[in-house]
Amino acid sequence: METIAVYWESRIKTYGFQRITDLSFIEFSYPLSEIKSLGEILSQDDLQTLRPKFLIAQESDHKITFIFCLPVKEGKDFHASLEKTPRPTPHRYIYPVSIIFFYGPHFGDRYGIADATFSTLLKADIRIIASGCSSASVFLVLDQDDIDKAEDVLSETFEVAK
Amino acid sequence: MEKLKVGGLKQSLELCQFDLRGPDSSEEIASGVSKLLVSQKINMEFITYYPNKNSYHQLTFCINQDRLSTASEILKKEGSLPMGWEIKSRRHVGIITIFPHQSAIKILGAIMVSWAAQSIPIYGIATSLSAISFLTDYQLIDKAIEVIQDLFQLPEDHAPIKPEIRYYQSTEVKKGKGD
Repeated sequence: METIAVYWESRIKTYGFQRITDLSFIEFSYPLSEIKSLGEILSQDDLQTLRPKFLIAQESDHKITFIFCLPVKEGKDFHASLEKTPRPTPHRYIYPVSIIFFYGPHFGDRYGIADATFSTLLKADIRIIASGCSSASVFLVLDQDDIDKAEDVLSETFEVAK
Repeated sequence: MEKLKVGGLKQSLELCQFDLRGPDSSEEIASGVSKLLVSQKINMEFITYYPNKNSYHQLTFCINQDRLSTASEILKKEGSLPMGWEIKSRRHVGIITIFPHQSAIKILGAIMVSWAAQSIPIYGIATSLSAISFLTDYQLIDKAIEVIQDLFQLPEDHAPIKPEIRYYQSTEVKKGKGD
C-alpha cells in the first residue's frame, strides 16, 4: 500500500532554536585499532557524570577523531582525564564555544535543510567550528560571540512554528 | 549485572557514506556540497562537519544507497570541490540510533568495547538532543543490534527497530496555501 501525503512550506519550519553557551570544546584522536581501549576509558566510573551537549566522531586514516562539547567544569575534568590516559591522545581545547540547535518536521527525511542552514551562516560570515546533523536535528558549534547573530539570520531563513 | 535502561533503538535504511577531506579553502565546503546535492534533490540523512581538524577539513555525510552514483558524478565533476580536496565513498552503511536518556558516555563506551570485540566497525557518531547515532556496516547491522539488545534494556512495548515507512520527496512543487 502506498500513502501519498502532501506537505508544502514556503519557508522551512522548525520548532524553534535552542542554545547552550559557555561550553568547552575538546577534540582528540585515537587509533581505530585501539578503539576498544578507548571504550574502556570512557566506561570508567569517574567519567559517567559527563553530560556532553554535543558529540561527533569522524573516521579517517585509521584514526577516529572525537569532538565533545561539555559544560566548563566537566570539560576541565575530561581534559585532565584524557591527559592521564596511558596512551597519549593529542587533543585540542577551546573555551568558550556555544551551540545552537534546532529540529523540525521530517528533518532527516527531506533535502534542503542542510543547504538552508550552511548557506545562511556563510552569507552572514559566521564560521562553523563543528556541526552534526542526525535524527531530524541540526547542531552547530559556533564561537560564543556569533551565537546571537546566528539565531537572527537562521530565524530569517526558517519559520519558527507557533 | 543490571542492564542500563535506554529509551529506544532504531536503524536506518541502507545508505552510503561520503568522506570529503581537504585543505583550508576560501570556499565553504559544507554550503557548497549541500547546494550541489540539493540540485539533485538528494537528502543527507547524517552529517558531521569539522572544518579545522589539524590542517584539513572533513565533511562526512550519508545519503540513500540508490543515490550513490548521482552524488559521485556531481562531486567528481571538475570545479565541484576546491583544489586539493579528496572524495572517498563507502557503500552499504547504516545508522543505529539509541535514545539514551542522558547516559551517552556510558552507552558510547559500552558500544565501543562490545562492537570492537565482535569486529563491528564505527564509521561515525553524532548526537542530537536525546539520541546518539552510530554509523556502521549495513551488512553487520543485525549483529550490531543484537549486541546492543544484550547490553541494554529496551522498553517492553518498544516500536519496531527496522524502518517500516520509506519517505520519498516529490520533485513536484504544489503551490497553494502558504505561498
